[in-house]
Amino acid sequence: MTDPRLTRRTLIAGVGGAALAGPALGQRMIDLALPGGPSLRPTGPAFPGKGEMIVQRIRPPLLEAPMAVFREGIITPNDRHFVRWNWDMPTSIKAADYRVAVGGAVTKPVSLTLDDIAAAGETVSVVAVNQCAGNGRGLSQPRVTGTQWGNGAMACARWTGVRLRDVLARAGVAEGARRVRFAGLDVPLTEGAPQFIKSVPIDIALRDDVLVAWGMNDEPLPILHGYPLRIVVPGWFSTYWVKMLATIEVLTGEDESYYVAQSYRLPAQPVTPADKDFPTIPVTTMPPRAFITSHADGDMVAKGEPLVLEGIAFGGNAPLSRVDLVGRGWEVPCTLGPDEGRYAFRRWTATLPNASIDLTGIGARAADAEGAVQPETLAWNPSGYARNVIERITLRAQ
Amino acid sequence: MRAVAALAPALLALAACDSAPQVAFADASITLPDDPLDLPDGPGRQAVIENCIACHSPSTMLQQPKVSREKWQSIIDKMRTLYKAPIDEAAVPAILDYMVHVQTANPPPAP
Repeated sequence: MTDPRLTRRTLIAGVGGAALAGPALGQRMIDLALPGGPSLRPTGPAFPGKGEMIVQRIRPPLLEAPMAVFREGIITPNDRHFVRWNWDMPTSIKAADYRVAVGGAVTKPVSLTLDDIAAAGETVSVVAVNQCAGNGRGLSQPRVTGTQWGNGAMACARWTGVRLRDVLARAGVAEGARRVRFAGLDVPLTEGAPQFIKSVPIDIALRDDVLVAWGMNDEPLPILHGYPLRIVVPGWFSTYWVKMLATIEVLTGEDESYYVAQSYRLPAQPVTPADKDFPTIPVTTMPPRAFITSHADGDMVAKGEPLVLEGIAFGGNAPLSRVDLVGRGWEVPCTLGPDEGRYAFRRWTATLPNASIDLTGIGARAADAEGAVQPETLAWNPSGYARNVIERITLRAQ
Repeated sequence: MRAVAALAPALLALAACDSAPQVAFADASITLPDDPLDLPDGPGRQAVIENCIACHSPSTMLQQPKVSREKWQSIIDKMRTLYKAPIDEAAVPAILDYMVHVQTANPPPAP
């Protein structure tokens, strides 16, 4: 640290936080408990419009929500919603000049203004979980390289916009359409590097709840979340929710672009770290997950007293059907909170009559309506995608 | 049309906002924080400064789990061939020296 201005700012950012001494800065650090480390992350510098976030990377920004954000409610405030950019994005948007090109296999390519988009159809809202495909990657064992997220690269918001299909209708989808591809204004700095473009199958693009969204919890999308427009695909990982939407392209064949054909892919069958050159499938829909939010690993609880545990869960692409609290040799069904929609976080609570039982490695286990249940062991994959192993903590009764 | 049938429950989550005012889009801009040169001392640090951090913050490398020199070589290869990073071939050994050094010299605290 040679720039005193930055030192002072990060110190200010740390005021009011529990002070864990950081290796280089005086700001509050958060320990993500990544096995083998490095595990400490700064909570600064502050980003515009954001509250306290774990700063995984300043440029391009990677901001993670501390797990305490999920202790209450099901809507994640915009200022605590995780941020993930693959490439640098513009930091200034001029609304009157903004255009979205709709082309490819369409009857009439069009260039739409923001007002054209807003008028393309009925304004609709959906409450949906937005989760990075790599959420929890840093917890993989064996560890894998990539952004070393804890579990805070997820959030739930109310998204408002128009249906993608109504925007597509402005251009007219041609015969033979197979996929719809999205590009944003984030572009590589280097000539010839792959642009971050993503596509979904046409039947997904035409869904009733897939949006071109401008609203996030009844506010305009912040720039860090893709102002003025982003794609929302409820149930699918965030990688498809392209931000700063600039181009919609209808494809008649497979998408051979890098971030679909070669990256964001999972092994088709279970693999070990020794396996190479195995068949892969794209990361698409989210599996169910649940988290204990009322307590953190290592917390003390009162021995002999009833213990109330709370948390959040989500079904992913299918509705959540149940959550169970699981320990060593015991299970307790959880009571689910209000249902705010199949793609939303849902709160759960469970009461243990007596905190003297074994509280080692307790976790919440979600199941979805299609029968998928969170697994006991990690489905390890070399990119750390789609983690949904049961997340466990240990509490101590005294 | 199995897909349509499966979507029926999703309709419940959708709420039409017929009476909502027309959305108005304004110009917007933000200023991102500075990206300090937060790189520990070590052999090859200058090569990292000159070849890596034009595109991304140092934390991209410093937060990685400890991996082998060969893995770092493969990461540099990916940066060069896929992402077209203008990394000087002659600087690669120094970059490797640095990454191995910082991962050895700054072990995580014991659990």
